[in-house]
Amino acid sequence: MNVRVMSTAAAKPVGPEQCAAPPHIAAQGLAVDFTVEGRTQRVLGDINIAVPKGSFVSLIGPSGCGKSTLLKVMAGLIAPSEGSVQVAGLTPQQAVKARLIGLVFQEATLLPWKNAIENAAFLLMTADESIKRNDAFDRAAAMLKLVGLEDAENKRPGQLSGGMRQRVAMARALALDPQVLLMDEPFGALDAITREEMSECLLDIWERTHKTIVLVTHSIDEAVFLSREVHVMGTGPARIIETLPITLPHPRSEESYADPAFSAAENRLRGLLIESHRRGRR
Amino acid sequence: MTDTTLSAPAGRARSQGLVRVLYAILPALVLSAGVLVLWELSIRLFKVPTFVLPAPTAIVTALGANWRALAVASQATALEVLFGFVLSAVVGVLVALVIVRFERFGRALYPLIVLFQNVPKVALAPIFILWFGYDLAPKILLIVVIAFFPVAIDMLAGLQSVEPSFVSLMRSVGASKGKIMLRVRIPHSLPHLMAGLKVAITFSVIGAIVGEFAGANQGLGYMIQFASTQLDTPLIFAALVVVSVLGLAFYYVVEFAERWLVPWAPKFDPVHSAG
Repeated sequence: MNVRVMSTAAAKPVGPEQCAAPPHIAAQGLAVDFTVEGRTQRVLGDINIAVPKGSFVSLIGPSGCGKSTLLKVMAGLIAPSEGSVQVAGLTPQQAVKARLIGLVFQEATLLPWKNAIENAAFLLMTADESIKRNDAFDRAAAMLKLVGLEDAENKRPGQLSGGMRQRVAMARALALDPQVLLMDEPFGALDAITREEMSECLLDIWERTHKTIVLVTHSIDEAVFLSREVHVMGTGPARIIETLPITLPHPRSEESYADPAFSAAENRLRGLLIESHRRGRR
Repeated sequence: MTDTTLSAPAGRARSQGLVRVLYAILPALVLSAGVLVLWELSIRLFKVPTFVLPAPTAIVTALGANWRALAVASQATALEVLFGFVLSAVVGVLVALVIVRFERFGRALYPLIVLFQNVPKVALAPIFILWFGYDLAPKILLIVVIAFFPVAIDMLAGLQSVEPSFVSLMRSVGASKGKIMLRVRIPHSLPHLMAGLKVAITFSVIGAIVGEFAGANQGLGYMIQFASTQLDTPLIFAALVVVSVLGLAFYYVVEFAERWLVPWAPKFDPVHSAG
């Protein structure tokens, strides 16, 4: 496909052996407290995480373990109460200003009065007032093509399926050409088959662009299939209880699900999650 | 859908459209006709005096006999409704924007507005007449105090009901509060605003009539009052018919504007529930 090459596309995938390089996203001793009605509660405690540049990392854990909160801290939407977070050597707020961050949520959150291409161009045009409408639309069109929606440019969100809407949301984030893509359960509301399609689409995008991707997910399959590294989170207070490298060979495809390494990682993850759940209940 | 109508011969498409419209309004027509016939028969059967309740035929006769006066009165009332409605819309939207934009001031303002909404507006009419005389101004003011509230409340609901993830997305590219307001909150609130305007337009008609009751020298409300002093009940009903038709026309203008302005809004079907 003749998709426009993005600035980060030249970056080679970073193997585990290169982890000595400074991480692209790093958190040290990170803690977040929420104050609700005068009562302060620690929702994230002592998080240490290092995401190498160009890596694909998943955060997995039981509901309420703070994985979405961690993602929002990385996105500069929530300020840390303790410790520090850096994205490309900057604070998250600075990274936002430098337009390094793309976000995708569980809901596609498209503007219903705009069609697919207008939606895909919307954040880019918001972020960069000086960009020409045509340039923004060219870029949005290229990204829609990348996510396989070149024929749906003029459709309104109401005319698109859930999976297609989520593809538009991905195109919208990619149109910003961010260095970092933060995804909060992006496929959580989709049916199983669409989920797998979307996983493959995302994997394809990552292999082409080598953006640094952090994915929050509930799905063990998704985490194993997509990630180089999975951080398993636990509750009370939320923290990372284990970091599991995924050795499933690249390039990955549908056949990867049958790979023994896949089921090995899956079983290990399941064990960790069950343990985390049990601990959470106590 | 447009494809099929375009490919069909134009004449047939038009007649099909007509049939569809007829089919849509037929139940309402049949019911209305039934009620009218029953009304007419009861009046004749029980020999109800005309000054108590006129028969539909008597109302039609009154309509015919006074059509010129009714037309002049409608024009006066329609003007009040139009000005009052537009001003209500402006005030309602501004109130909502101010409440959302200046949060602290909004917290102070909102309860006062709700409190004011509970003041019986009819009681204000004589005061407005006292202040502004018998002209257009007191009627418009009365309409505004009655009709801005649904506009403000619906617009407010629209502005506040934006999904938090939209706001997060905008913030993730460094958008300011003002930009989020302009690009996301306000467009998002338009379907809500249109719902508020539909309520406001019916309130505006009521406001105009009440205003004319309190003191006027023209308009349909004035005509109703004048007719009641003469015990001309058929004329009262004739004026009521004109008021209703006027209100209906105004309502459908707003609904048409809604379809044109916010085509993405969920279609409102008063009969079928969402399930």
